Amino acid sequence: MSTMDTPVRGRDRAARIALYAVLVAGLLVVVGPFVWMLLSSVKPEAEIRQVPPTWLPETVTLEHYRELFSRLNFPRYFGNSLVVAVLTTAGNLVFCSALGYALAKLRFPGRRVLFALVLGTLMVPGMVTFVPQFVLVSNMGLVNSYAGLVLPFLAGPFGVFLMRQYLLSIPDDIIEAARIDGAGEWRVFWSVVLPLCRPALATLGILTFLASWNNFLWPLVVATTEDRYTLPVALALYSVGQNRIDFGLMLAGAVVVVLPVVVVFLVLQRHFLRGIATTGLK
Amino acid sequence: MRRQRRLWLAAAAAVLALAGCGRDAGGGQDGARSVGDGKATGEITVWAMGTEGEKLAEFAKAFTTENPDAKVTVTAVPWDAAHQKIASAIAGKQTPDISMIGTTWMGEFAKTGAFDPTPLNFVDKSAFFSGAWDTTVVDGTSYGVPWYVETRLIYYRKDLAQRAGITAAPQTWDELKTFAKALKEKAGAQSGLYLQPGGTGSWQSFLPFAWSNGAELTAGKDFSIDTPEMTEALTYYQSFFAENLSVKNDLGLQGALEQSFISGKVGAFVSGPWHVGLLTEQGGPGFADKFAVAPMPRKKTATSFIGGSDLAVFKDAKNRDAAWKFIAWLSKPEVQVKWYQAVKDLPAVQKGWDDSTLKDDPFLATFGLQLKDAKSPPPMATWEQVASVIDGQVERVAKAGENPATAVKTMQQQASSVGTGG
Amino acid sequence: MTAAPATTAPSRPAATDRPHRTDGVTGRRRRRALTGWLFAAPFTVLFAVFMAVPVVASLAMSFTDLRSTDLRNPWSVDVVGLDNYVRLFSDALFRRAAVNTLVFVVVGVPLTIVAGLAAATALNSALVRFRAAFRVGFYLPVVTSIVAIAVVWRFLLDPEAGLVNNLLRVVGIDGPNWLGDSSLALPSITVMAAWRNFGFLMVIFLAGLQAVPADLYEAARIDGAGRWAQFRHVTLPMLRPTLLFGAVVTGIGYLQLFEEPFVMTRGGPLSSTLSVSYHIYNQFGFGNYGYAAAASYVLFVGIVALSALQFRLLRSSE
Repeated sequence: MSTMDTPVRGRDRAARIALYAVLVAGLLVVVGPFVWMLLSSVKPEAEIRQVPPTWLPETVTLEHYRELFSRLNFPRYFGNSLVVAVLTTAGNLVFCSALGYALAKLRFPGRRVLFALVLGTLMVPGMVTFVPQFVLVSNMGLVNSYAGLVLPFLAGPFGVFLMRQYLLSIPDDIIEAARIDGAGEWRVFWSVVLPLCRPALATLGILTFLASWNNFLWPLVVATTEDRYTLPVALALYSVGQNRIDFGLMLAGAVVVVLPVVVVFLVLQRHFLRGIATTGLK
Repeated sequence: MRRQRRLWLAAAAAVLALAGCGRDAGGGQDGARSVGDGKATGEITVWAMGTEGEKLAEFAKAFTTENPDAKVTVTAVPWDAAHQKIASAIAGKQTPDISMIGTTWMGEFAKTGAFDPTPLNFVDKSAFFSGAWDTTVVDGTSYGVPWYVETRLIYYRKDLAQRAGITAAPQTWDELKTFAKALKEKAGAQSGLYLQPGGTGSWQSFLPFAWSNGAELTAGKDFSIDTPEMTEALTYYQSFFAENLSVKNDLGLQGALEQSFISGKVGAFVSGPWHVGLLTEQGGPGFADKFAVAPMPRKKTATSFIGGSDLAVFKDAKNRDAAWKFIAWLSKPEVQVKWYQAVKDLPAVQKGWDDSTLKDDPFLATFGLQLKDAKSPPPMATWEQVASVIDGQVERVAKAGENPATAVKTMQQQASSVGTGG
Repeated sequence: MTAAPATTAPSRPAATDRPHRTDGVTGRRRRRALTGWLFAAPFTVLFAVFMAVPVVASLAMSFTDLRSTDLRNPWSVDVVGLDNYVRLFSDALFRRAAVNTLVFVVVGVPLTIVAGLAAATALNSALVRFRAAFRVGFYLPVVTSIVAIAVVWRFLLDPEAGLVNNLLRVVGIDGPNWLGDSSLALPSITVMAAWRNFGFLMVIFLAGLQAVPADLYEAARIDGAGRWAQFRHVTLPMLRPTLLFGAVVTGIGYLQLFEEPFVMTRGGPLSSTLSVSYHIYNQFGFGNYGYAAAASYVLFVGIVALSALQFRLLRSSE
């Protein structure tokens, strides 16, 4: 990070203290709910519902987690979620970067229309296409298959937009130089362009993974038997009843769903943050 | 962008040209086929929500013992999006053999023509509570069988009532008012009787009062909401808010209802059977002795709301006969009692209530009594939307002091523009 | 001026055909076209099948009276032309939802941008250590489950037991019922949305701040500019494209406001937090597919218009 100014001691100490006070206060407000979620998932149901609420658990219990893991076939649902999220992410990385590259760096007839179409669907509210999409998938005989869960999400408009914008900022000279060296278009893409896109790919990868991992409605509707359910769908089975919500189970479920994502985020946050920062802008 | 829009319009025009035939006026006339004799065979696929979905597979083992050539495959569906899942399945023709259907969804899904009419020579209509059976009847044809029921009663704090000098539960509208006042003034409850001040589902709290006063939602195919009886019921409902006998916040939405009742801020409220378990669980040891339930108070009648779920067989079912056999098995009184023991679902079959498990429980006995005078809104394809109209006006009356007569007129007018979908 | 903060070289139009090319221009062009389509093909095929077809179908749907009861025979619906669109504008609830959504966007977008910018500026200051920890912390709400967020916020805003009102009580103020009062519910939701989303903008602004050349600040300091003056006359102008980008992205997202009112207020009290997306969701729930589709495309036009407006502003500043 760039240094803004050389510190002038006395005045800076006061400024620094003020700054920290504001930042720490902000951090508390922002991280609070997350911490509360973690802490409350080990409280008994009655304590979660207690008014006024407690911060630290008065009684620590793992009953919600135990119940969650004993009632649901965790490895199965976790595995389904993982397969779907990994396939969706991999597909998006390949297809979106290929089209993004073509849109940004190759001249071919129809590319403007194509880009406009892709951008246009990005702005269509998702609910409206849900039923037609399902009818389509069911006519193709893909209901209750991994293909039905993955295929509709392989071609995400967001990914194309992101990759195109990022590739526009890569100078043509690098690509041109590789071409002059005699590399074919595919070689250029694979061994020159893609390595340059690493931050953008990391961003796209994590965002796609996150979206796929949390997706609820589509897997619920496409999976007609429980052995194809993903984790969020399975979790919703037990925590929300017709007339009651089991907060303990719900919070424990939320922790279980969020934790893998947070871990991925923590590991990749350097790439991820830099990735978003450099790609979005054009 | 402009070119893109033009493309879309062209494509849309093409699709519309294909589509331009218009719908035929028929529907609803199909007669029921009978069900073959003998034991059920083959795989029966069932969708069920929530706890029912979780427990049914294990429960059905008794059925497959009786019918060794049959296999029951249950898919549990989260309540959250069950409506969307069933609607999509109908659109994509990917329905199972049987699905559990919320009673208020029957009208909408039956109208799609996706359900198989109930074979009445196979299922005995008179075995069920009539209010429950009515939820399956759409345009004169029954499209399913009630599985379990629930109804609304008045929950109240016995200890607070005692402190307020009340010895008997309220039996009339006037007594209910006095009761709420006493709980507030003499026993320190902030809400003597908490009523849902609008918001999703508040029609379930309000309509029992309307029905008890002789009001009806529909007369034939038309809405008949705008009547003096309805206005009077809504005025009565409003008076609890106007006289500060109920807070105007939606305690249910804020998840605070149970705790408010346990702490004594709420002296009484209207709800269904699930609250017995919730309160006993959250109130801690001994709390079960501090509250009781009472039937809805009488005006012209003492009618409550009946809800629950039905079981329907789809027309596209691959194993129709076996599906109906499974449903018939689930409707046996002894099976209904066992099902109550497994998941606490109240039997929809009247004979089930003769069992001592239900008869001897003071809470349940009251629910059983109320079920004899309980009804549901007439099944219609547009019910969810009509319900939201009622919810909206109840909220205006409760929170914004809207004149009940005006609110009832608005309900009538908005509901009519929505129509019954028939 | 280059807009992108971390761009290594000035961006320029892609693969311009150079004028000096003379030989085999057509052959080369044809080959280029072929390569282009080869790269585009896999995505385009999937896109055409799984996105374009449903979009066209849903657009067609918006000109019919398709209801959920027609699901088994969707071809037998009646074509009603623009009827759904006309009805939308006489639908009092839809108008209410549109106003709520606009108010939310107009107040919420600047609020989120200011919060994100403040966080970014603070974290970019040389005075702060543990930046990574703060960065991750501020970003957490973006990945935390909305359900957990809703539960916590309902407790925070509870009129009696809530932390907010208890704090207010300390300074002698009797706090209102934040989510239960029809004039305060939308502002509360707005603040909550800003809280939830500012982390995303912070990250983008941080990157933008890092790209501001240090010598500009140096020059400003030599001219005697204080911290505030530096911020106003160096940081803000240099950051303008970044700010506008943030506005576009946030604007598109905020126009589709749904989750916050869905989990916090169910659109109430008295429809004061009903958003356009929520109204569409309700109409789908009621089974009015044609009507809901029409409402979706009105929202779509709104999003396109807002984006176009912001892109224009973005471009004119370059």
